[in-house]
Amino acid sequence: MAIHTPRGRRGIRLATGLVATAAITGLALTGCAPGTSAPTETTNADVSTELTTEEVNLVIADETGFPVTDKLAEEFTKQHPNITFTINRDTFQNLTANAPKLLASSTPPDLIRLPTIGDTVKDGLLANLDPYYDAYGWDAWPASQLAPLRMSEDGIRGSGSLYQLGLGYSITGIFMNLELADQLGIDAPPQTMAELEEDLATAKAAGVLPIMAGDKDGVVNFVVQAAMNQYADKDEFMSWMFNEPGATYNTPGNVEGAELIRKWADAGYFPSDINAIDYFTFTSRFSEGEGLFTFNGNWAAADYQKALGDDVTFFLVPPINEGDGHVAMGAANSFSVAAKSAHLDEIVYFLNWIHTDPTARQIIVDVTGASPGGDPSLPLPEVESGSLIEKALEMSAQIGAENGQVDFMANTTAGIYAGSIIPESQLLVTSKITGEEFVERVQAFYESEVG
Amino acid sequence: MTESTAPRRGAARAASRRGTLVGWALLAPALAAYIGFVVVPFGMGIQYSFYDWNGVGVATWVGFENYAKVFTDATLLASIGNAFVLIIYFTIIPVGTGLILASLIRSMRAGAFSTISQAVLFLPQIIPLAAAGIAWSWMYAQTGTINQILGWVGLGGLARPWLADYGTALPAVGLIGSWVLTGLCTVLLLTGIGKIETSLYEAIRLDGAGWWREFFTITLPGLRQEIAVLVTITVIAALSSFDIIYTSTQGGPGRATLVPGISIFRIGFTQSDVGLASAFGIVLMVIVLAVVLPIQRLSRSSR
Amino acid sequence: MIVSRTEVVIGRILLIVVLIATVLPLISMISAALQPADVNPTGLVWPSDPQWGNFVTAFETGHVWTLMVSSSLIVLGVVPASLIIATLAGYALGAMKVKGSRWILIFFVLGLTIPFEALIIPLYYQAQGLGTLNTQLAVVFPLLGLYMPFSVFWMRAHFVNVPTELSEAARVDGASVWQEFRSIQLPLAMPALSALAILLFLWTWNQFLLPVVLIADPLQRTVAGALTFFQGQYSLSIPLLNAGALIIITPAIIVFLIFQRQFIRALLQGAVKG
Repeated sequence: MAIHTPRGRRGIRLATGLVATAAITGLALTGCAPGTSAPTETTNADVSTELTTEEVNLVIADETGFPVTDKLAEEFTKQHPNITFTINRDTFQNLTANAPKLLASSTPPDLIRLPTIGDTVKDGLLANLDPYYDAYGWDAWPASQLAPLRMSEDGIRGSGSLYQLGLGYSITGIFMNLELADQLGIDAPPQTMAELEEDLATAKAAGVLPIMAGDKDGVVNFVVQAAMNQYADKDEFMSWMFNEPGATYNTPGNVEGAELIRKWADAGYFPSDINAIDYFTFTSRFSEGEGLFTFNGNWAAADYQKALGDDVTFFLVPPINEGDGHVAMGAANSFSVAAKSAHLDEIVYFLNWIHTDPTARQIIVDVTGASPGGDPSLPLPEVESGSLIEKALEMSAQIGAENGQVDFMANTTAGIYAGSIIPESQLLVTSKITGEEFVERVQAFYESEVG
Repeated sequence: MTESTAPRRGAARAASRRGTLVGWALLAPALAAYIGFVVVPFGMGIQYSFYDWNGVGVATWVGFENYAKVFTDATLLASIGNAFVLIIYFTIIPVGTGLILASLIRSMRAGAFSTISQAVLFLPQIIPLAAAGIAWSWMYAQTGTINQILGWVGLGGLARPWLADYGTALPAVGLIGSWVLTGLCTVLLLTGIGKIETSLYEAIRLDGAGWWREFFTITLPGLRQEIAVLVTITVIAALSSFDIIYTSTQGGPGRATLVPGISIFRIGFTQSDVGLASAFGIVLMVIVLAVVLPIQRLSRSSR
Repeated sequence: MIVSRTEVVIGRILLIVVLIATVLPLISMISAALQPADVNPTGLVWPSDPQWGNFVTAFETGHVWTLMVSSSLIVLGVVPASLIIATLAGYALGAMKVKGSRWILIFFVLGLTIPFEALIIPLYYQAQGLGTLNTQLAVVFPLLGLYMPFSVFWMRAHFVNVPTELSEAARVDGASVWQEFRSIQLPLAMPALSALAILLFLWTWNQFLLPVVLIADPLQRTVAGALTFFQGQYSLSIPLLNAGALIIITPAIIVFLIFQRQFIRALLQGAVKG
């Protein structure tokens, strides 16, 4: 064969692999089930919070376009030269499709971007971080932020052992183009959903695009879920996202939120080519001044500020009644450690460092605009006063104080986003189906996947 | 490699037995590669299709449940339907255009124009389908070239995001396939028509026949073999399309351009339902065989 | 030959329309690639300020060099081995007419119609079992198998048409199978072999599904498989995406323009025989 790998072990692995394949083929003939036997839980009784002095290379699998891991790795190697990093990147779509297989492979990455836990805990692919939680004293960190990163033995998210940590904790809201708002006579962010709708109507009447959104890759769901959040019972919604038995998506609140989106679609509040617009296009078109509002996360703050200067502000999606608590999607930029990682202590040390080291926390804020998480008593990184990032951090803190954070519904199951939410929302925002149909179809898909 | 230098003379039977041995030795690597990486995986696919398996954990035997799901799930059935619609664009348009062009031009005198046209017609065959998907996504974009040209010719009212419009997405994706395949069909049919006896054409023209009759009585029968080949290739390309759609619409908007290839990828890898994805893969193969074998038979019996 | 003038004229016009339609998307890509990277481009424009730097940026951010090396490794793994193995088998089936050749041929031909999608799931777990997953070998091995039906079929078709007198004469002269093969058959097979080499090169270089599924690191894929890496929509802009795609297709186009005649002949024969 013309390909030589530098690693000599390949030949041996290949030989054992051939035997394994022969065995699999043999199994096929005897009718045995594919797959492995039930996983054995690895318990790490002794964990170390001391960093090794040996040369270690840590492998991180991340999605394309999020340079924060590069920056963090660079800084960490600067502080600890014996630790180096290899960062592999792939598109979000490919990465999510490959993640379980990557983790199950004989050479898994040490740390992987994993938006949905899915079956990976059940299959014993993720390292249980509980021992480190105790060793490092993470109980000082906000419990609500860590809850979505936990999973129970029954595969229900929200409680149980800790399997993920965030490289930054995001919050979503509405960005408003102040120059357009000025022209339209809108002088302040809306305080209620009704006011928001008034503003949308004002913009439409004046020939200004009310909401810049895209749905080629599903990003309009920032808007869809933002609407649902205001009508739905937060805990009920969360229990569905955490896959609790009997939980349903088909609630009156969710239907009401989806119907509102249908109403907005009918009213022409979205771009006419919404299904052709992907994340890049919708952010760049808003940056170029198209659209009064756009629904996006705090991670976009830095780019919007760069493009629009002082002509942009950020606020939380308003509640139905003035003075009610805000509800907003937010999530950890979640990463998991592979159970098979040979460097558990080192990679967790790195994760803890990200949450505690001042430079690392500064990098998280500067690069992602997201909150660094960790112990709330630690000083927050410095940001330019009056900047959009500062605003975004404030909003993050406000949601924390109001306890109004919900997860992204796209993270409910591994397949639901690509398999159902994206295609159905494409139909919803172009008025092909009603809000009720949207909710029913997503729930049906959910049942087929979870049930 | 078996390498023998023994003298060649001897009993004929011994030689033939030795020949058989050598023959099988020569065949062995090819059979090994084919069996090892096509037949065995195919067997594994059949096995998986009877299980509920997420690819990592424990698998449960479910009998024909996955197959039942393939034939009852409206989404999966619709994706098969879309694949059949693509045949219009992958097969009928390219072969049709090729036939018309070939019969009109009939022979291309060797020359600069002919060389350049052949090269240009072949370009889409050279670039990856995935790149074709990217190039055309841009052509079809709201601010892309198609809408711009429509504007130039005063049809700006028709402008739309072609890949995001429910009515046009599937045809638009299909036309990417037409773009890729028309050149191949044209050049192959031109080569084929060049082999038809010119005396046949002269005779029918002297008979007073027009282009139309000539086309049906001479050109079409004369190109039967080439047409059968092209139909086979293009139908397989239509039914198992993946690259173009993966890089252009990913099956959207809604599920307007969802095809079996994308479904299998998504079910097997994003949703980790290996059993269902395998069953769908087997079904897709059976469909391809069921469509292609009759075409083969037709072309054979017509010879 | 009698061909009426109007037909020729209509034919030529139609041909020119098809030719324009063929190059239009490529020109459109160039137009997009030359527009500023950080804005949404618009259709076909003659760029007043062409951003040639986009190609440099795309080349660097896309790690194109690494990708080319990786693609070449995969091609080197697939093409020579396929040629050798298929030639041996084609010779056994076509020239030696081993007992049972007919059935073996049918067995291979059945493989011609298998869509890759039908095998991709098991191939994944097979590669995992072999420990080749996420290496170029994960693509090389299955491609050897998947291209084998066509390659064997192709080489057999060649050997079947070689007059048996040639090999008989060689045998009478006391040549061994190997000598006969090397001094008589191989030279005759060169055109068929080079055409097959071109086809296999093209199919491997442009292979998309297998590398996307079997190699997690986009930088170890084929260039075609790595196009999705360029589509990482959060980081790259449409101008850069088009610039990257253009860079990626350039080598194949250059090779094509150099070996144009052989390429077209190979593809045409490939179509007829396939």
